[in-house]
Amino acid sequence: MSLELFVQLLVNGLMSGGMYALVASGFTLILGVIQVFNFAQGEFYMLGAFITYGVVSALGLPYPVAIVAALLGVAILGVLFHFAVIQRTMLHGFFHTMLVTVAFGSLVNQTSLLTFGFRNQVVPPVFSGTVTVGGLTLNPGKLLVIAGALVVMMALYYFMKTKMGTAMLAATENREVAGLQGINAKKVFWITMGVGSALCGVAGALVVPVLSASTTMGANVFTRSMLVVLVGGTGSMAGALLAAFLVGILESFAFQFVGQFSLLAIFVFVAVLMFFRPGGLLGKPLPIPGQ
Amino acid sequence: MKQENAMSRITKIEMGILLLLIVALPWLINPYVLQILILTITYSMLGLAFAFTLRVGLPRFDIAAWWGVGAYTTALLMQKAHMSFWLTLPIGGIVAMLLGWLVFTIAIPRGMIVFLMFGMVVAMAMQQLFGSIDFFGGWGGTGTVPEPTFGSFTFIHKPELYYLGLFFLFINLLAYWALYNSKIGRAWNAIGSSLKLASSVGVNVVRYRMANVLIGNFFLAIAGSYFVAFSRVAVPDAFGFQNSIFVMMYAVVGGLFHSLLGPILGALIVTFIPEYLRVAREYEPIITAIAMILIILFIPTGILGLYENRVKRWFVRKKPHAGTGQETGVDPEVSA
Repeated sequence: MSLELFVQLLVNGLMSGGMYALVASGFTLILGVIQVFNFAQGEFYMLGAFITYGVVSALGLPYPVAIVAALLGVAILGVLFHFAVIQRTMLHGFFHTMLVTVAFGSLVNQTSLLTFGFRNQVVPPVFSGTVTVGGLTLNPGKLLVIAGALVVMMALYYFMKTKMGTAMLAATENREVAGLQGINAKKVFWITMGVGSALCGVAGALVVPVLSASTTMGANVFTRSMLVVLVGGTGSMAGALLAAFLVGILESFAFQFVGQFSLLAIFVFVAVLMFFRPGGLLGKPLPIPGQ
Repeated sequence: MKQENAMSRITKIEMGILLLLIVALPWLINPYVLQILILTITYSMLGLAFAFTLRVGLPRFDIAAWWGVGAYTTALLMQKAHMSFWLTLPIGGIVAMLLGWLVFTIAIPRGMIVFLMFGMVVAMAMQQLFGSIDFFGGWGGTGTVPEPTFGSFTFIHKPELYYLGLFFLFINLLAYWALYNSKIGRAWNAIGSSLKLASSVGVNVVRYRMANVLIGNFFLAIAGSYFVAFSRVAVPDAFGFQNSIFVMMYAVVGGLFHSLLGPILGALIVTFIPEYLRVAREYEPIITAIAMILIILFIPTGILGLYENRVKRWFVRKKPHAGTGQETGVDPEVSA
């Protein structure tokens, strides 16, 4: 394998890894704090991509504005969905909320299918041309995606250090005790939903100049973010970040060498890893009942 | 004694009329509806398996995988080894159980969330496997499978296949009912209603859950074999992950706490809503999704729950609620 190919595959892997990291950390955040298994996460990601496409192509606004629009748009949708549906179904239990997010995801997906059609929608790349580093040609758009993902993850890290972030962690740890300490659970829940959705919106907005927007992109990313959460350990942000890049790079190389068996290769990797590290890479093993 | 408990859900007269209607159905409806009904029977079997494992507090998202394993085993054995359909049934079931054991030794001890996500991934990987390997026929499917025969009788027309499906459904119901009322069924109920309590009184949670999931696998594989019997082909796209989500909808729409009738009723409703919405053309999936959200929001106990809470009260005069031990809910403990 030439160095050129190796670097290209690595960059591709890091780029998809960045996407998986954003979607998966939003997913674990929502799962940990609100205890909602959010199936609509992948569709939120797709919606972020389409909002960016709409703002850039139809309204003719610059790309940074489109990123903010995607972030806010998806976050608002997530919060509205929380107030309208999730808040009510949470009383009935875990399965009802999970199913409601499935239905909502399909609603979002089908609506965008009607609006945008089956064709892939292309946003013009932010930087034209290529960057040459030490004799290697790279696509600057992909590097921008990696940088953007890292910046957003940093922002999330500092957000979790604020008072609201601490309140979220407290609610993850023990909801009742957090309530007794004066944490307003309702407020924490809708903010979590907003942040979790916004992460997906940003991911979609970042990726759209490189990979075009299509209605099937959500399902693909959601599958991979499931793998990421399994590898990284449920509820661990740092684990999710590490696992996302690991899965992204692995997928990129596997696709090059085993083609359509790449998903199977990753699956075997995940299964073996889970066998030896039950709690994921960084998470501590969950208590094993009955053993 | 136990029989009376089960019968108290529906009175005997209602049951008789219903049975008569079910048997006479092929002559009352047109072939197209009958075709959908045959599909619904398969889906009900999947829904039953979902409800079966939900009783130990595990939501299955790998339904499509084992359904596909059964279908592919039957299709390949009948096509390549010219085996009898009836012989492929147990073989498919055992293959699904063995593969399931391999996969679930990793997932089951890690709790519900991991089981759920792992199941999703298994379903996708299995579909990929069916499509990628040439021996299975690739993405185009296995090609035509010979029709099942019994002696000199071949199951080829719709009504015959419908009765074959009813037979399988009946076997399923009987087996699940017997299991629910057995000793192992009571242990499952205990795990479903409180995991911690069950393990503290000495129920080996992992082992009982494993037994439950593997028995579920066996019946899922049989549903897959039946699917091949009437569709006469196994195609990877038929066993997509999307099916697993629909199966969950059957259970919730029918009523989560009714493990036998709930999934069947739910499958009927969820399969026929989109069929009658065909007039709405491209808006059909949107309307279906909105309908699902509304059903879950306003009828959280499912159709059967609604029947027990509202409708039944008008007909049945003051009668203490007969506890069959099946009302034990599923503890939504995420961390467990």
